[in-house]
Amino acid sequence: MLLISLDRHIKDRASRAWMLLWLCFIIAMPVLIGTGLYYKSSLLLKEESVFGLLLSKEWKPLSGKFGFYPFIISSLWVTILALLIAGPVCLLSAIHLTQYAKKAVLKIMRPVIDILAGIPSVIYGVWGVIVIVPFIAKQSDKILGKQVSGYSILSGSIVLAIMIIPFILNILIEVFRSIPDELQEASLSLGASKWQTVKFVLIKKAFPGIVSAMGLGLSRAFGETIAVLMVVGNVVGIPHGVLQPGYPLPALIANNYGEMLSIPMYDSALMFAALVLFVIVLLFNLASRLLIVRFEKRI
Amino acid sequence: MTKKLLRKIEEGLFRSLMSLSTCIIIFALCLIVFSILIKGIPSLSFEMISQTPRGGFYFGREGGILNAIIGSLYLATGATALALAISLPVALYMNLNLISRKKTVNAIRFLLDLLWGIPSIVYGAFGFSIMIILGMKASLLAGIIVVALLIIPIMIRAMDEGFKMVPPGLTESSLSLGATKSEIAFRVFVKQCFPFIITGVLLSFGRAIGDAASVLFTTGFTDRIPTSLSQQTATLPLSVFFQLSSPIPEVKNRAYAAAVVLTIIVLMISILSRLISGRFKKTSIKF
Amino acid sequence: MKTLKHLLIKALVLLLIVAAGCSGRQKGSDSQIDESGLKGGISISGAFAIYPITVVWAEEFMKLHPGVRIDISAGGAGKGMADALSGMVDLGMFSREVSGEEQAKGAWWIALTKDAVLPTINSENPFIRELKKKGVSRDKFIKLFITGEITSWGQLLGNAPETKINVYTRSDACGAAAMWGQYLGKNQEDLAGVGVFGDPGIADAVKNDENGLGYNNVIYVYDIKSRKKYSGLEIIPVDLNGNGEIDKDEDFYDSLDDIMNAIKTGKYPSPPARDLYFVSKGKPEKEAVTEFIKWILTEGQKFVKDAGYVQLPEEKIDKELKKITD
Repeated sequence: MLLISLDRHIKDRASRAWMLLWLCFIIAMPVLIGTGLYYKSSLLLKEESVFGLLLSKEWKPLSGKFGFYPFIISSLWVTILALLIAGPVCLLSAIHLTQYAKKAVLKIMRPVIDILAGIPSVIYGVWGVIVIVPFIAKQSDKILGKQVSGYSILSGSIVLAIMIIPFILNILIEVFRSIPDELQEASLSLGASKWQTVKFVLIKKAFPGIVSAMGLGLSRAFGETIAVLMVVGNVVGIPHGVLQPGYPLPALIANNYGEMLSIPMYDSALMFAALVLFVIVLLFNLASRLLIVRFEKRI
Repeated sequence: MTKKLLRKIEEGLFRSLMSLSTCIIIFALCLIVFSILIKGIPSLSFEMISQTPRGGFYFGREGGILNAIIGSLYLATGATALALAISLPVALYMNLNLISRKKTVNAIRFLLDLLWGIPSIVYGAFGFSIMIILGMKASLLAGIIVVALLIIPIMIRAMDEGFKMVPPGLTESSLSLGATKSEIAFRVFVKQCFPFIITGVLLSFGRAIGDAASVLFTTGFTDRIPTSLSQQTATLPLSVFFQLSSPIPEVKNRAYAAAVVLTIIVLMISILSRLISGRFKKTSIKF
Repeated sequence: MKTLKHLLIKALVLLLIVAAGCSGRQKGSDSQIDESGLKGGISISGAFAIYPITVVWAEEFMKLHPGVRIDISAGGAGKGMADALSGMVDLGMFSREVSGEEQAKGAWWIALTKDAVLPTINSENPFIRELKKKGVSRDKFIKLFITGEITSWGQLLGNAPETKINVYTRSDACGAAAMWGQYLGKNQEDLAGVGVFGDPGIADAVKNDENGLGYNNVIYVYDIKSRKKYSGLEIIPVDLNGNGEIDKDEDFYDSLDDIMNAIKTGKYPSPPARDLYFVSKGKPEKEAVTEFIKWILTEGQKFVKDAGYVQLPEEKIDKELKKITD
């Protein structure tokens, strides 16, 4: 016997079914994406081995040569450099905001972070083109006497660094705030200065959280496409210095998807690039998030 | 004695570095917003926002960016609506029906975080392949679907944050009064967590309107305003991307104007979502 | 709470009204009567080279047939072919020859007009006078763009200065690069330089770089209104006979009409001059599309010269017309 009327019961079942359907869809998404990309790249993978593709240095699609190494190296350069710039800045700022600064400063910073996070990547790209690229070109001439066009790995890294700052900063602030005050109070009562407490207690305890924040920032930087594309130069080859242009993996996909059907296996190659990107980002995300979970358990 | 001095110096040094870092971040934001506004505001005129480009968006001297403004609004609204239709049920289901199975919910949250990290170009590439298989042309509809997929994790996450906080007592008392689970979902959760839903919607809208990599392959571009879902449409981010690197100053100005419009929209969304969450929090039941 | 909700709803309604009003205004302006009642949508994408004239053709055609809607976007010839073959668009704009691979996939093409790729430099280049006097031969271009043997202006001109040359090329798959590469005996991917997206992009890059060296389609170098080059851009005369200087009959870059003449008469070689095509997957069947193409090859030809393009010789036009009318 039903305790509620029939139509309410049907509505209930219907909406629950609808909810469940979409839940399953969402869960299946990464699998779908991965499978789809793999299927499309299978044409290329039949001919060459995965390692061959990843490590070979020649990229000459018209001759059938698809070596992804230069793009992977470019991607690594841009992202690691971006992290080296953004990482310390975020770390110091997060400590400042959670430990030293007045509450009012944190209140101001929240909208700042939100806005930085919300700015679309095209806007960062435009800014990079009108401010950063000429800046690099000028400074390189002035300081190093080297003539460069300004479209370089360095420009890409600077733009990327600012893009990932809100991301890393938010996580770091959360991480630092989750460290119980008792630990810090205990340290202070033992006679340690604030700075020593920060150095030896806070950072040590928060270390896994810090690492995972950096890892997430890295994966975000690795996948960023438009902003980097606009300033990085898009020259195929292994860059020999930060002032040289590079060609990261996402830029390869975005620039060349138009040529896909004219050259045999080009579309497979680009889908393979997307698959590589997908897998790398997924792995980094997975590792960083697992680290956070374990970190939260410990606290 | 010197050890203490060294420590003091170290502390002072780091403290100044820390304040400096925070200042750098604020400075970077101001620099970005101001450079865009300085370059873009001179190009903003009534013609710019009320006309479509004449003579081709790559080439024409006259006209403005109305095609991109309307196109982006259509796209973002459509994608947000579609995402809402999917995200709201999922977030509700997670917090209502699965509340007993904590491990499952956490696993789903974990999965959503992973989805959230997938770069938009992967969504674009994947969407493009599906479009070819299905024989879909580059169109507003294709763009709406792909962008909706992109923003669903964002929306679910934002709403989930709110739904998480509803105390189980509220659910239990509603159940004991004879409500069905879905009724609770819509009449209690939604009302209680309205600010979070709005924030989620706004955040996703902002992402939808600003993302270029996902629409690059799927939505095409055109000088005209779309009149149906199967037509190509111009979007603000692509309008910036395509027109920025042109030697023709009028074309470049259109890019700057589009950049300013986009920036202003994003700023407005940020302010709006803060205002709304501030206002609405007063009317929710406190525990 | 109620007032905010009302405000949001009102704003949304207002937005929708504005949107509807704007799109309505656009349709209403094409008020000429169309006897044929031709209707339909044509989507076109592809090469930057033929983009400007296609826009002109589309606008004129839509004036005659207000029931037809033509959407045009540019993304490089490669994209045009890819979109056409995958069915994403009705017509692809194409600025190089269709390859065997593309033919095997079912590509159908038709020639509509002609233009050329020209080597470009910045007008403030410190060595501009010498460059214009001496010109650069094909061999030297190969050393600049392909092998990288020449890296400084000094090396190029045979004097001392070590100022580096910043070579630019196209990052998008395009006909201009393919034709320029073909002229130098190679492919687009063999051209070495900073990759910039789009024809306007590379023109802009060279315009902003004193030591820049690139290549562009005629239409992005010359202003069709003034018939002269855009300020900031200059053309390196091609030393066709390789005698180390630019003779009178190699000097045809001053105005748009001069270079168009040179292309038409064949003085400027093909490649890098080439025919411009529309491509599609198999012969087009949509009525709007076939009518558009027919119109281009007949009445549309009168817009070609003003738009800065070279008309195809009459026999060729007749031949192409047969392709669409048979």
